[in-house]
Amino acid sequence: MIALGLTLALAYTPAEAQALFTEANDAYYRQEYSAAKDKYERLIAAGQSGPDVLFNLGTTHLAANELGPAILFLTRAARLAPSDDDIAAQLAVAQQRQLDQVVGAEDAEPFLQRLGRAVDERLVSWGFLIAWWVAFGLLFVFLRGSSHRWAFGLATAAVFAVALGLGGLVGVQAWVSTSVKEAVVMAATAKAREFPGDTAKVAFEVHAGLLVRVMEDSGRFVRIRLPNALEGWVEKEQVTPL
Amino acid sequence: MARTGSALAITASLLAAGPALAAELEFYMTVDRNKVGTEDTFRCEIVVSNAPEGAVVQFPTPADFEVLSRSESTQMSYSVGPGGMGQIKQVRKFTLVMRANRAGALTIPPAGLQTAARTYKTDAIKVEVVPGRLAPEPRPRQPQAANPFGLPPGFPFGDEDDDPFGLPRALPDPFADDPAIPRSDSDLFLRATLDRPEVFVGEQVTLSILIYSRMDLMGVDSVTMPKLEGFLSQEIASPTNLHAEDRVVGGVRYRAYLLRSKALFPLKPGELNIEAAEADIASGVYPFSQRKLHRKSNTLALKVKPLPAGATNVGRWRLSSTVNQSDIALGEPVQLKVILEGRGNLKNVTLPKLEAPASFRVFDPQQTEKSSIKNNLVGGTRTVEYVLVPQQTGRFELPGLTLEYFDPESQQREKTSTDPITITVRPAGTGAQALTVPANDTPQGEPAARNQLVGGGLKSLRHTARFSEAHAVPWRQPFFLPLSIAPVALALALGLVSFVRTRAGQEDEVSRRNKQAKAARKRLAQAEKLAAAGSTIEFYAEVDKALRSFLEARLSQNVTGLTRPQLDDAMKAATVSEAVRARVLGVFETCDLGRYAPGMGDASARRKALEDAVHAMEVWP
Repeated sequence: MIALGLTLALAYTPAEAQALFTEANDAYYRQEYSAAKDKYERLIAAGQSGPDVLFNLGTTHLAANELGPAILFLTRAARLAPSDDDIAAQLAVAQQRQLDQVVGAEDAEPFLQRLGRAVDERLVSWGFLIAWWVAFGLLFVFLRGSSHRWAFGLATAAVFAVALGLGGLVGVQAWVSTSVKEAVVMAATAKAREFPGDTAKVAFEVHAGLLVRVMEDSGRFVRIRLPNALEGWVEKEQVTPL
Repeated sequence: MARTGSALAITASLLAAGPALAAELEFYMTVDRNKVGTEDTFRCEIVVSNAPEGAVVQFPTPADFEVLSRSESTQMSYSVGPGGMGQIKQVRKFTLVMRANRAGALTIPPAGLQTAARTYKTDAIKVEVVPGRLAPEPRPRQPQAANPFGLPPGFPFGDEDDDPFGLPRALPDPFADDPAIPRSDSDLFLRATLDRPEVFVGEQVTLSILIYSRMDLMGVDSVTMPKLEGFLSQEIASPTNLHAEDRVVGGVRYRAYLLRSKALFPLKPGELNIEAAEADIASGVYPFSQRKLHRKSNTLALKVKPLPAGATNVGRWRLSSTVNQSDIALGEPVQLKVILEGRGNLKNVTLPKLEAPASFRVFDPQQTEKSSIKNNLVGGTRTVEYVLVPQQTGRFELPGLTLEYFDPESQQREKTSTDPITITVRPAGTGAQALTVPANDTPQGEPAARNQLVGGGLKSLRHTARFSEAHAVPWRQPFFLPLSIAPVALALALGLVSFVRTRAGQEDEVSRRNKQAKAARKRLAQAEKLAAAGSTIEFYAEVDKALRSFLEARLSQNVTGLTRPQLDDAMKAATVSEAVRARVLGVFETCDLGRYAPGMGDASARRKALEDAVHAMEVWP
């Protein structure tokens, strides 16, 4: 509640937010990347985020050669706007600069995860609600009887099929969102150990910008899994959840 | 060599005096030429062999000749004579460099040798003297050994192997001249020389001012150089400390000092004259015999040949170009360095203009020049630095540059060119993909003018933003689940209502039939009132209607128009008992009799009909 109150107190008016956004852009073009990042982050802290702010913040980090934050914010922007080509292209550029090359990566992440990420959460959610209501409306009309009863029957079945499909996608997204926790490596180099402890043997190293899955946590450490199923424990502060 | 004198006679007389001495003394005088010019010098040698101790040579003192210098040399030799006795021979040679004072048949008087015993004389020598100069012209200057001054390799004027321009056929040597010794001031004179008698317009000719001296010099107080009209000049040497170099001029040994040296570049063709230089020279030994002498050099004439038509640049040049990088990002400047080096008058060379593709913005170049003098040849390096900023991505070619010049050495027009340079412009890493080049600036048909857009690089920032919460996914919102469940709940509710309403509809049918039955009973009550009023026909009609209405309600079918057997069948189908059926049918028969046979309509009959009808309704199952 206190946080909410602070957020509301810090919130900018739309004009102020746009002015701050423009100032940040100007700082970027003057190559004053620290000032630009500070202004973008103030917008995010005020709850006035969105794909555009995240995109610019990620791009600023990328221009400043800070690969970890760049991939973090660009990935967040991409999750909010999956169909945005600019964000996808910028993220691809950042990933090309990444040091780690995961060898023997699984052909693809599990189907449901891919399916859940492939579609726009908003689109699917609203599409489901609309189709769901329309389907029930058609069902009502069908049951009341009319001169085109067969047509209403077919339409009802079709819309029900669409609604159920979309509903399934919403369910998949909800499952992926709640059960699959991802993070980006922020440290320039993070040692992945065989068990959570400073004395544990280092199994491998990962570097800034690598997207990993967080499986569990224990004290100061979290267990990460790479796309090729390689696992290790790294310090929590070395990764940032998406 | 003309050898004159009385050597044989002297020898013969000496033989008479004694074998040992007669064989030893020789005394004679010779000249190297018997015909000379008034400008020529010649040598006169007086030779004395095995002169007795104390013998003194008396040199000739000719009035018609000037003795420019005198030198002496002695040679000793040892030989074994007849009888095995060794003999030592001493030869003293006196060399006089002479020059005639006038033309004509002149005579050099005899030289003398005075010994303790007697005086010997040589013969006089006749010399034919003509005006001017008979001696051959100074020998052509031979190409000197490459890099006689040990120049560092790599410089265009350095070692020939490393010199792409090659050395000139003859390096200018200020001391190579063979000057005429002036008739007066022969001990100290000033000489102006040019290293070549004729040149092309713009070609270097080197003017040297030298001091020739046979006396001790203390220094040069002042030098007045001639006016060099019609020339561009550049100082080559102006030494503050004079260095002597031994030179023999006309057989006379001098010490030559280079006073000034200038490179001259004639500006126009024709015969150009150079006036005399002047200098004040201090000689002698300070402070006892110091003298200040003023000397004036000779004048010079130079023939200047015109250049071939169209030639402007003169010398020997090499053009090269480099870029600091050939793979650049869009908007990144590239530095093109064009270097001209060689020999000649660098300031007079006009470089070709750079024709860069329209895709490049070319800034004004910066030019630096560094002149150099090696082996008395003037040259230098001019560096022109262009800054080009690409306006488009793609591959572009900077065309090569070509400089035409006239090479006086080969006397031909030559060309030097740079190679074209290919520059790859890739998208910038900070956002911009391509900048638009105005179409008007694009030359027609230039391949590089195509706007080649290459993917990659960082995208530009968003300039406007739509601000939103970070996680505004609908399915996370509180309304989502109720909205999803609502249609199902609503459908269930509607189904329930429908079910209830259906059930409610079935109860109404029973009620309706009950109501019909109730209405039938009300009709019977009405019929009873009619009976009391004496309306027989109406009474029976009302009873009939009441009973039929009751049957319709109970049988759920229309019974109007049915005959009594049909009514009986309907009641049978409704599982009505036979007693009730009989009673109902009896009432209908009584009603028919009462309506159509009025005699049957007494009060008892009406009462019975009414009671039967009531009874039938009451006992109906």
